[in-house]
Amino acid sequence: MPSASRYDAIVVGGGHNGLVNAAYLARAGRRVLVLERRPRVGGAAVTEEVFPGFKFSMFSYVVSLLRPEIIRDLDLPGHGLHILPLESTLTPMENGDYLAAWADHDETRRELYRHSPRDADAYDEYGRLMHFMAHAVKPILGMVPPDPTSLHPRDLIGLLRLGRHFRGLGAEKLHALVKLMTMSSADFLDEWFETDVLKATKSASGIIGTFLGPRSPGTAYVLLHHYMGELDGVFRAWGFAKGGTGSVSEAIAGAARRFGAEIRTDAAVARVLVTRGRATGVVLENGDEIRAKAVVSSLDPRRTFLQLLESDGLPDDFVEAIRRFKFRGSSGKVNLALGALPNFTCMPGPGRHLRGAVSISPSLEYVERAYDDAKYGEFSRRPYLDIVIPSMIDPGMAPPGKHVMSIFVQYAPYHLNGGWSDARREAFGDAVIDAVARFAPNLKSIILHRQVLTPADIERVTGLTEGNIFQGELALHQLFFLRPAPSWARYRTPVRALYQCGAGTHPGGGIMGASGRLAALAMLGDGA
Amino acid sequence: MTPHAIVIGAGANGLVAAHTLARAGRRVLVLEQRQEIDGALDAGWVPPEVVSDLGLDRHGLRVVRLDPWISVALPGGGRLELSQDAGRSAEAIRRVSPADAAKWPAFCRRMHRLAGFLEALYAVPAPDVETRDLRELARLAGLGLKARRLGKEAIVDLLRVLPMSVAELLDDWFEHDGLKAALGAGGVLHLRQGPRSGGTAFVMLHHHVGSPPGVFRPPLSNMVEVLARLPGVEARRGARVVRITVANGRATGVVLASGEQITASVVASSADPRATLLGLLEPGWLDPEFARAVRGIKCRGVAARVILTVARDPGFSTLAVAPSLEYLERAYDDAKYGAMSRHPYLEARVEDGRVVVHVQYAPYTLADGAWDDARRRALGDLVVERLGEHAPALRQVVTGCDVITPQDLAERGGLTEGNAYHGELTLDQVLFMRPVPGWSRYRTPIPGLYLCGAGSHPGGGIAGAAGRLAARQILKEVAE
Repeated sequence: MPSASRYDAIVVGGGHNGLVNAAYLARAGRRVLVLERRPRVGGAAVTEEVFPGFKFSMFSYVVSLLRPEIIRDLDLPGHGLHILPLESTLTPMENGDYLAAWADHDETRRELYRHSPRDADAYDEYGRLMHFMAHAVKPILGMVPPDPTSLHPRDLIGLLRLGRHFRGLGAEKLHALVKLMTMSSADFLDEWFETDVLKATKSASGIIGTFLGPRSPGTAYVLLHHYMGELDGVFRAWGFAKGGTGSVSEAIAGAARRFGAEIRTDAAVARVLVTRGRATGVVLENGDEIRAKAVVSSLDPRRTFLQLLESDGLPDDFVEAIRRFKFRGSSGKVNLALGALPNFTCMPGPGRHLRGAVSISPSLEYVERAYDDAKYGEFSRRPYLDIVIPSMIDPGMAPPGKHVMSIFVQYAPYHLNGGWSDARREAFGDAVIDAVARFAPNLKSIILHRQVLTPADIERVTGLTEGNIFQGELALHQLFFLRPAPSWARYRTPVRALYQCGAGTHPGGGIMGASGRLAALAMLGDGA
Repeated sequence: MTPHAIVIGAGANGLVAAHTLARAGRRVLVLEQRQEIDGALDAGWVPPEVVSDLGLDRHGLRVVRLDPWISVALPGGGRLELSQDAGRSAEAIRRVSPADAAKWPAFCRRMHRLAGFLEALYAVPAPDVETRDLRELARLAGLGLKARRLGKEAIVDLLRVLPMSVAELLDDWFEHDGLKAALGAGGVLHLRQGPRSGGTAFVMLHHHVGSPPGVFRPPLSNMVEVLARLPGVEARRGARVVRITVANGRATGVVLASGEQITASVVASSADPRATLLGLLEPGWLDPEFARAVRGIKCRGVAARVILTVARDPGFSTLAVAPSLEYLERAYDDAKYGAMSRHPYLEARVEDGRVVVHVQYAPYTLADGAWDDARRRALGDLVVERLGEHAPALRQVVTGCDVITPQDLAERGGLTEGNAYHGELTLDQVLFMRPVPGWSRYRTPIPGLYLCGAGSHPGGGIAGAAGRLAARQILKEVAE
């Protein structure tokens, strides 16, 4: 093949954002090639048969933020996407009681009433506010961030529109938004509720993927981020993809192929080729060169700019900004193959609660202390856990009568004192199992196999820098027009014809696909 | 003759408000619960507008800038002294870290530029982002332009630095633990947060406003004493207000502890918003939403003051115990769970034969009971012991120890939860969110009742700014 560009665009990385990007480009008639380092597409959204007969959503395990316009535009249901609802959350408490949230709103209220009549009343009002705020912020997720330092009319108009949008919310909602953007989830929830376990469970969703505790300012925003989950038009509904999160990736890949995109696996990109300040293609690790008119990287900013590129071609302040971009992975994952179902002391026996999530967040102090450990470089001795048993809803994930359990763990700092080793990994796994077993004592006896993934493992397998599941912390100073770097939040880069489309760009993490889509629209807008 | 306006509280803000009103021809009565005038130096930057409006410089205003402004005890012995002169500080930094010394000038320049922007914001009422008023919109646009004129680097700094944690900001710049702690402590003063909490970089800048580059603590001044002696307003001391009277929805005056009633068409309170609106008003006058917002003001006192009387010079003029950011963060961890920091942040200065020590964190609410004499004594001993580790002479010269906890501040001074700033300077409680969202213009839902204390924009640590702005608002709204 001569080096003339056979492709309009090469997408580096076949995670869900890369695939969404490729699908949108291909849909617009571009010739697109996706290059994925691993033998399968999906990145952190993969399903793997880790133990014979037991399939796991290895890393990312629930779906809720996937943008509805992407589902529609790419006809993902037509390519096999099927979301099964995950409707309840059970939080076991230290005193043997529990707090449950059920699919049925009235039932949830009754349950809450048991703990606090006042909170049961506040719950509806809180839900309405968060619902409204999610609606208010949603357009921002679908918006290309304007550059506040630029005098370009496009940016000025963008800033003005943004200002109008915020003012249009009205005083009360605007104040709520400012509070959400700046407060800690614990403080924010303190204004609403008195039941500690409720605040603990809610604020836990504010810390996922961050290196912050529930009392750290900035976590209230993440609370909202997780409220924005939109599933068939229903807010705050979380779900499993049938067949695991890998099937989300497969569906997007299917759509991309249908539109004509080419996807190559086992094809690791070593370098982006740059000629006279313009990206012209990539070099694979095996030495092959592939040319294209444009290159778009779905890898995180550090990999894209400090590894795939020679940094001496980039402006100093940009390189500095990318170096400063914080990753600090803080989450781990434990995947268990189980011979039977766990038996929770607070709600014994099998039941519908096992079809939902179980949150190990018995009190705010519990979660905060988990953070304290991590703050000083240790994994949490008693971690916050988000547990799901996908085989309860999707029996195909495990052999008959057996189950798979997915445990999302926080905190496990990437920068562990003394570094991660096999022994530390197992000790971490033990801490996690112990933390569950305190509330489900039979757990240890039903484990057939276990897989423990530390942030270091997440980085090794998926390539996510420091194992950060959002490709960079979702902190206020790393959002919107600052993500990943000031003046470069519009998916373009200082290298012409090189774009970025990963979660390290606005609006960021979760299986959302928005970055991939917005980047594709930006590229098409540039005539790429 | 009945006064036009009653000002509650004779602190810096109350007195500035009173004198500003008096200069405009209003008859003002200041009511202060304490008998004596406090002659001690008070920390806080005095904005130039306040000085020039009231001619304070002609009346003996003395602004003291400690030099060095901080002297951090280094774990291996020796001190890191940061001076009023950024160049001298650079020399001191060079001795502990040449790399940090190289970055120091650029850091000072960039932080000073951001503080300059804050200074401009603090001289005027908080921007009203919901306004439909053309003049206010023009003012907002003016602020936007001002920010833009600072240049691209400054805009990025502004957007990026303000919401950051001071630890992240300092880790970006420096390597030396003592230097980072000296600067980082300014980000948590009077705040129930540690240096790793978001928004603390803003607090560091807040304490930089009005100071020369490289100085991250406000100066001290005798402002309250000067104002108290300034003629023009009537002040009654030993007069504790117990209630603000309201008739037909309007403030009509106050009732004193003695039972005396005083009427006035304007009541301006420099007490904190929670004490004013929840403590002095009959509860029925506020709508529940507003009352809820006021109750929600975070006001968690965490700073104690320990005053040691000494027989001789203790061997230092200023001394800070803050070996590292981690030290500060661990001090906060204790307070987070309602305990006194086992290893607190200490900032001591010698003044008139006394050692005045700022101690953090000493939470207002203790998880295991209230502050009592045993706990106060233990805190005093802890302070002497920790300072003594770095200034051994101290232990021999201490002759007395007065411990003022947040609980004492609450009980003696009426400060809600003993928070000297009348509300924490968190990002959700500044600018148009201070004291509560939508009420940043010193008004309250009760016509005639105004707030003029540190609980209002621009907040604590700035002497007289809120009082001045509140008085100007009153003059605009209330005809003679």
